[in-house]
Amino acid sequence: MPDEIKAGAAPPPTPAAPAAPAASAAPGVTRRGFLTWIGVAWASFSGAMGVASLSTLRYFFPNVLFEPPQTFKAGFPEEYIAGQVDNRFKESFGVFMVRDEKTLYALKAVCTHLGCTPNWLEAEFKFKCPCHGSGFYMSGINFEGPAPRPLERYRIVTAEDGQILVDKTKIYREEKGEWQDPESFIAT
Amino acid sequence: MAAPPKKSLFTQIREGQVWNSIFRHGPPDNTRNRSLAVLTNVFLHLHPVKVRKSGLRLKYTWCAGGTTFFLFLVETITGLLLMFYYRPTSEYAFSDILDLRSQVPLGIMREIHRWGAHAMVIAVWLHMLRVFMTGSYKPPREFNWNIGVLLLVLTLLLSFTGYLLPWDQLAMWAVTVGSNMARATPFLGNEGPGAALLRVGDISLVHAGDDARFALLAGRFVGSGALLRFYVLHCVGIPLVAAVLMAVHFWRVRKDGGISGPL
Amino acid sequence: MQWFKSAVDWLCNPPILFTLIFILFFVAFLWRRVFWIWTPRAALILFGLGAAFVAFGITDPNFRLIVSKPDNVPIVGMLFLVGFFTWLSMYLGLKNDERLAKSLPPEEKLESEIKILVWPDLVYTEMLCMILWSVLLIVWSIYLKAPIEEPANPAKTPNPSKAPWYFLGLQEMLVYYDPWIAGVLLPGLIIVGLMALPYIDPNKKGNGYYTFFERKWEILTFQFGFLVLWVMMIITGTFFRGPNQNFFGPFEHWDVHKLVPLSNINLSEVIWVKLFNVGLPTNWLVRESFGILLVVAYFALIPMLLGRTLFRPFFEKMGMVRYQILIFLLLCMVSLPIKMYLRWLFNMHYVVAIPEYFFNI
Repeated sequence: MPDEIKAGAAPPPTPAAPAAPAASAAPGVTRRGFLTWIGVAWASFSGAMGVASLSTLRYFFPNVLFEPPQTFKAGFPEEYIAGQVDNRFKESFGVFMVRDEKTLYALKAVCTHLGCTPNWLEAEFKFKCPCHGSGFYMSGINFEGPAPRPLERYRIVTAEDGQILVDKTKIYREEKGEWQDPESFIAT
Repeated sequence: MAAPPKKSLFTQIREGQVWNSIFRHGPPDNTRNRSLAVLTNVFLHLHPVKVRKSGLRLKYTWCAGGTTFFLFLVETITGLLLMFYYRPTSEYAFSDILDLRSQVPLGIMREIHRWGAHAMVIAVWLHMLRVFMTGSYKPPREFNWNIGVLLLVLTLLLSFTGYLLPWDQLAMWAVTVGSNMARATPFLGNEGPGAALLRVGDISLVHAGDDARFALLAGRFVGSGALLRFYVLHCVGIPLVAAVLMAVHFWRVRKDGGISGPL
Repeated sequence: MQWFKSAVDWLCNPPILFTLIFILFFVAFLWRRVFWIWTPRAALILFGLGAAFVAFGITDPNFRLIVSKPDNVPIVGMLFLVGFFTWLSMYLGLKNDERLAKSLPPEEKLESEIKILVWPDLVYTEMLCMILWSVLLIVWSIYLKAPIEEPANPAKTPNPSKAPWYFLGLQEMLVYYDPWIAGVLLPGLIIVGLMALPYIDPNKKGNGYYTFFERKWEILTFQFGFLVLWVMMIITGTFFRGPNQNFFGPFEHWDVHKLVPLSNINLSEVIWVKLFNVGLPTNWLVRESFGILLVVAYFALIPMLLGRTLFRPFFEKMGMVRYQILIFLLLCMVSLPIKMYLRWLFNMHYVVAIPEYFFNI
């Protein structure tokens, strides 16, 4: 019990010595017992308050989100030209489809600095974020500006009908060595 | 028998029952009635009956704090009037803002609200500058300075939450950038330092669906949920807290000895 | 006039601008020979120059475009207001200092014993203030439409994308620091520092009247934070940051295709690759050990050194706890200019870079 007294607020002030054995006090109530009960009371009160605060905090996180679908079909690999960045899913799904010599991958079109949408500048052959000027190579590797790490890649697999399936629920981060994962790109 | 002299209508009103039920003192042309004018009025009661002459000087106070409070009142009134026409949903918000200018009489309400907000931010800063430069945060006013700092932060938050409501590109991206900083909060944001340490086995406890930014935006990006959340915070949540703190702030000004002056 | 515009554009480049501002700030507040700038005559001249500069700038299309953006108009106003009130507080303070030097009480003391009735004196002042502000707001609102751009579109980021103007100081910090420092830690420390101010300020003088010399160090610290690291950063972020967050002078056209090579480099790369000619170690602790040591030394050794030498009088007056809090806040504040210069001089990106844990300094 003594540790529970610590859990509450300030310890209750010790009452002064009773002026007289009060007749109203129930028989058998000792000073120690009284303090223990006060401790229990404070501890349960604080506990209840804590639970109430946490529940209120939980209230701010809804159980259902109304967000667009997280997977989409992105056509056939032959539709993409090697050495080019494809913007066709940038508006609808926030994905750059990039095909280099050997692979095809889906870059998440969200700057790793503060979440703006980078633009592919064909002339300068790089992604450039309009918010704070981060620059990324075609591979998604950051090379200038404040972005701390490369763009992320989404899971990309071939569906049963031969179409590309991009799954936005799983991301692959280069600095963790996840771009070696066979599902982070499609070999072409 | 001469008839009693005719009293003017004005005097009749001044001496009538209605007037005297509202104002319980005579015309404020002597010290006693002037004191009563302040004492018996709930709004003027913010003030004491008498103040230091040095604290009345504009060159001393710049009226910055009073201006801030007045602008808060302007924002409250114009904001309330805007709420009659504005619907905080992603379908309506933008067109409602346009309608405020073209379809609503006195089409400068939004302008007054916006420029008043900018002016309030500047007035708060100047008030802080004045209080600092006169050393008015020193004992016994330390606590009230702290309340003031909180009010300054709330003023900026009020402005920031209001920024999203027009639901145009300017608003949306400013809030995207601003709220993404919440993502970088240590331990509470999914891209903050320490978040990677909060894992149970393979499951991370802090991710894009449950971090500080999510609580702010009610989603993983700025959408309808964020608009509604910012609207509620802007119109009710923060103003309520600010009003409570302002009450404390003004009360403490009086309790700490009024406008500061040399000891 | 082209040479003048080019000169101004060159001067406004952040490295040059901030170096100038740092020097000017300390000269204006510390060098007694130039204290004539705090006199009314000098204020009038400075105001005239400022107004003339804005008037001249308005004739330039690029300058006009930025300054007359509806949301930027209050900032131009704020510039003059902050300048005027900084001058006013210094002018009144120095006037009081002269009186104090002759062992006269400060000017406020002459009237602080006299009590004045609130009705009519104060309530009429307040009413006039309210009327003036109402008129100003209404006229301002009639002549200047509030901005509204295209409807929100999550897929298209406008270029440039900026935070609301009062947060542009913080956004400017984002150029030099990571979001968790510039967006969370430093703003939090600003608030904490402001709240701690009455408790760590050991100086009992200057309570309730304007003075400068009785509170020189407090005023210097506060004004450095407010004028230089807050207001000046807002000015930079508002007027000199264009598309792609590149720098543009006030008379320069905002060209989306302006190419600015940003080749930033981490401290670990400098040490391991350039100095030792070996690759980066794979273990992050080994890789970043130098940066971590540097940061630890900055926050641990400097307080000790300063406490024994330069700040000894403060340390003795304040005691351990207050001194440690003060020095920590000061070091955090000064770390921003230090990081700025590291960036400008050596293209330093991160002193400590641990992207695996989102921990970059």
